[in-house]
Amino acid sequence: MKSFELVEPATVDEVVAQLDPENPGVRLIAGATALLLMMKARLFQPERLISLRRLTGAMRAVRDEGRGGVRIGAMTTLSELERSPVIATAAPVMRRALRTLSNVRIRNVATLGGHLAHGDPHMDLPPILMTLGARVRVLSARGERWIDMNDFAVGYYQTALGPDELIADVEIPVQPPGVRAWYAKFTALSADDWPAVGVAVWYRSDGDRIADARIAVSAATDRPMRIAGAERALVGNPAGPAIFAMAADAAAADVEPLTDIRGTAAYKREMVRVHVRRALDHAMRQGSGPNP
Amino acid sequence: MTPPTAPVAPPPETSDSPTVRTLREVGRSVPRLEGTAKVDGSVEYIYNLRLPGMLHGKIHRSSIAHGRIVRIDTSAALAVEGVHAVFTAGDVATLVANPYYGPAFHDQPILAIDKVRHVGEPVAVALATDPHVAEEAANLIEVEYEPLAAVFDEVAAARPDAPVVHDVLKPAGTFTDLKYLGGRSGTNVALDARVRRGDVARGFAEADQVFEHTFRTGKVIHATFEPIVSLAEVTAPNGLTIHTASQSPSFVRTEISRLLGWPENRVRVRTAFLGGGFGAKLYIKLEALVAVCALLVRKPVRIALTMDEQFYTITKHGATVRIKTGVKNDGRIIAREVETYWNGGAYADIGPRVSQKSGFTSAGPYDIEHVALDNYAVYTNEPPAGALRGFGISQLVWAYERQMDIIAHALTIDPLELRRRNVLRAGRPHATGTIIGGMEIDAVLDSLAERMEWHRPFDRGTGTIRRGRGLAIGLKAAISPTTSTAIVHVYGDGSCAVHCGTVDMGQASDTALAQIAAEVLGIATESVRVVHPDTDLTPYDMATLGSRSTYHMGNAIRLAADDARTQLLRIAGTAFGTEIVELDCRDGAIVSRAGARMTFREAMLARFAMQAGTVVGVGAFTPSYQKPDPQTGQSPDITPFWMIGGAGAEISVDCETGRIEVTKLVNAADVGAAINPASVERQLTGAAVMQLGFTLFEAMNFSDGQVLNASLADYKIPGLLDLPRDLTAAVVEVPHEHGPFGAKGVGETGVFSPSPAIANALYDAVGVIVTDLPLTPERVLRAIRAMENRPLGTDA
Repeated sequence: MKSFELVEPATVDEVVAQLDPENPGVRLIAGATALLLMMKARLFQPERLISLRRLTGAMRAVRDEGRGGVRIGAMTTLSELERSPVIATAAPVMRRALRTLSNVRIRNVATLGGHLAHGDPHMDLPPILMTLGARVRVLSARGERWIDMNDFAVGYYQTALGPDELIADVEIPVQPPGVRAWYAKFTALSADDWPAVGVAVWYRSDGDRIADARIAVSAATDRPMRIAGAERALVGNPAGPAIFAMAADAAAADVEPLTDIRGTAAYKREMVRVHVRRALDHAMRQGSGPNP
Repeated sequence: MTPPTAPVAPPPETSDSPTVRTLREVGRSVPRLEGTAKVDGSVEYIYNLRLPGMLHGKIHRSSIAHGRIVRIDTSAALAVEGVHAVFTAGDVATLVANPYYGPAFHDQPILAIDKVRHVGEPVAVALATDPHVAEEAANLIEVEYEPLAAVFDEVAAARPDAPVVHDVLKPAGTFTDLKYLGGRSGTNVALDARVRRGDVARGFAEADQVFEHTFRTGKVIHATFEPIVSLAEVTAPNGLTIHTASQSPSFVRTEISRLLGWPENRVRVRTAFLGGGFGAKLYIKLEALVAVCALLVRKPVRIALTMDEQFYTITKHGATVRIKTGVKNDGRIIAREVETYWNGGAYADIGPRVSQKSGFTSAGPYDIEHVALDNYAVYTNEPPAGALRGFGISQLVWAYERQMDIIAHALTIDPLELRRRNVLRAGRPHATGTIIGGMEIDAVLDSLAERMEWHRPFDRGTGTIRRGRGLAIGLKAAISPTTSTAIVHVYGDGSCAVHCGTVDMGQASDTALAQIAAEVLGIATESVRVVHPDTDLTPYDMATLGSRSTYHMGNAIRLAADDARTQLLRIAGTAFGTEIVELDCRDGAIVSRAGARMTFREAMLARFAMQAGTVVGVGAFTPSYQKPDPQTGQSPDITPFWMIGGAGAEISVDCETGRIEVTKLVNAADVGAAINPASVERQLTGAAVMQLGFTLFEAMNFSDGQVLNASLADYKIPGLLDLPRDLTAAVVEVPHEHGPFGAKGVGETGVFSPSPAIANALYDAVGVIVTDLPLTPERVLRAIRAMENRPLGTDA
């Protein structure tokens, strides 16, 4: 490992000023759980690391925006999210997922911002945030802008984040009444492994019909993605095993899984089928309440 | 002073004492002597050692699996600011005329010479005071290769037309029975070892049914949390000290002396607590390289592997086992033929020994009239394979115990009953001809049956979640011949220390060995100091491997303590005017039948006329052994003791995903007698959890010899959430006639049987035959779907 500079700015403005969009050796570092692995493997050799650890306050807080809307500062650790009463009420689907996300040592230092900015398709929260309709507020010298979670991941380890931008916070909007949501995580190796397949589902019924549905798949594919075919299969139909199986088949047909050490593409396609169906079943049976 | 030795007979009973003593220290679950210090982080590990003026070495490794080295360019590396030196094989040659090392074969160069034989092979080393500078420099070394055809599969590599990994076989002199292999060329088969008993052809002809299967296991690693690490320093006037996280400091001294052409007394090798060993830190790993570097630069040199580098340093053998079994309809096995190909990787390490010493048990713990066993230790262009907890046994048990349940099913005999009809019992000959004694397989089976409630009906589940249960038993012979020596000191104040070469790598040997010394000397275990291996201080010990320490070193310590005790009794006898048969050691004092009492401190004062001096007890232990006939593998005395390990598993399997959940795992073992029952249970359970990882998901994935998952991010080992909810050890105590206080080794026993027990449970649950490990969800689902005639396809 070559020597590199480590800077620890105290304000967002100083962070933005330290960024150098022209130099790929300049990177932001939050919990460092992912970037250090890449540095050890020599996949990334930094020139300057801009540590965000001094950014606290709103950058490291979970704020109740009223009526169930939530604003999460990017430097909030995954443990803090896991233990947040606001999250427990507003997005129990997230809290359940956080409990099986890697291990407690990682969750104690990894941050939500890093979790998203890393762009690794195996992360647990992006598909959930996609189904919850979350959006990401990013800052740069140019000002601020919002990125919809559905547009955030653009490819394998690629995000919509510009090289001069940092994530400020994530907003989860107020969920409509009657929403049901679930996240199904399937690990092929040890229990604390990254998922081989992650499936987040969300739907809202109007009367006895599903009025709105969101299904996102991660880990099996090169990036987390919504599966429009599966969502279409649900809308306008009554929730139940038959329609869930159809949605599962549609999802399996739509995804383009990648073969890796956690399974072949064919196997992951099958696991997408199984877990879309199971997640929908779970959502129907357990994922209800005043809030998802 | 003549060290007492016990070549054949057990150590003399200490019951020449005046009264029959009940055991006070042995059999007690003494907490680890170093337990608190391990928790608060204050114990010594070599990994944490820093020497003044030390340089860090980083290794440049081969990027190809097989090729000639055309050119090595170190100029860019040497240009890095802060680099002290860069060395290649040419520099090594200035110090070491024949720079090839290894315990079984002298085949591994300190740095690659002319050729590389596996991805990750050390080619050059860069030294700097800053390890990051050394790493940067190592990465800037440029090596040009002329690639050669490579071979990875052990069966393919054994064929006559395979690319040849080593031009000529170079067996070490260490094992005289390998000498005949010297000079063989044009083959990757480093060793072929056979056992012949009866006439298998006749046996198969007489059998009612014959079963033949091929089972495979892939490569996995030890994943010690303290990486492999060694430091060397030149010492005045003409010596060398090597601090190394090694399981075999005595062997390191021998091998470094041989390489340098020095007498052994100029080489000092010491170690500390190990952060795990499991066979990864055996024989010689980085020691020759740090020794040469230190001698070249005349400064201390430290090399520590990263976790990733460990994947290219030492692995467990992958194996292909073809097993053919002839049975009578009543379930009696009458013939068995087993042919095993061991994937040894590019360098032999101890692989040929694994093939031979475990290979002769490949017929299993069964009484079979006609047996033919063939083992081939095969070189390939994968990273070297050596010892990993069990020394090859689990690969064999995987085959013979998996097939056992297939046979049971075909004959409609209960799997437990089929085993009962075939197990070896005391007085019967093993396949090698050695008469069985000192183990009771039936007791282990009984224990398993009871813990598994085997007689009760079992709910096999419905719908997509099915349940099953299975069991398995495996046999291992303790490695022979080996020897251990120990010294027990009684100091001037009466306190005691044990000097021995056993390495405490987490198995709690310090505590168990202190218990043995304490028992003999009549003192508290907690008051005994165990001095860690240092070849300047501690006598020769073959190595800490193969579950041998409790038995071999335990006996040596028992003899040494008894020697010291006898001397103390003599001192007191003289003072009391009593015969020593009237005396005993108890509570730190010598006591007579008449009631006289003298503390050890007083005894030392009586002996030396001042509070000073040392009483030294010495004990050496070398079990008897007879070398097997090379043609037939027959020997009347093949091993000092047999280990028997059984496992019972209950699982549920998700038929839609193929994922197995082990809900219950029982590990039963005949341990002789438990010196420290809590430690014995932890060894059995810890080993079983390690094997659980190898069973369910651990696998090194290769592409052209490159490991695709060479990090703990992608090579996953079991965590707490992977443990079966019901995980227990069943300790079966059948005291061994020659073991110290009846004890046998137990460090490996728990790995023998979990894999086939779990696969047998899968077979019981859904009826699929899986022949390869690990039982990943995809492999299991594919087997289920193939059985249902709706196979899972392959994506384009």
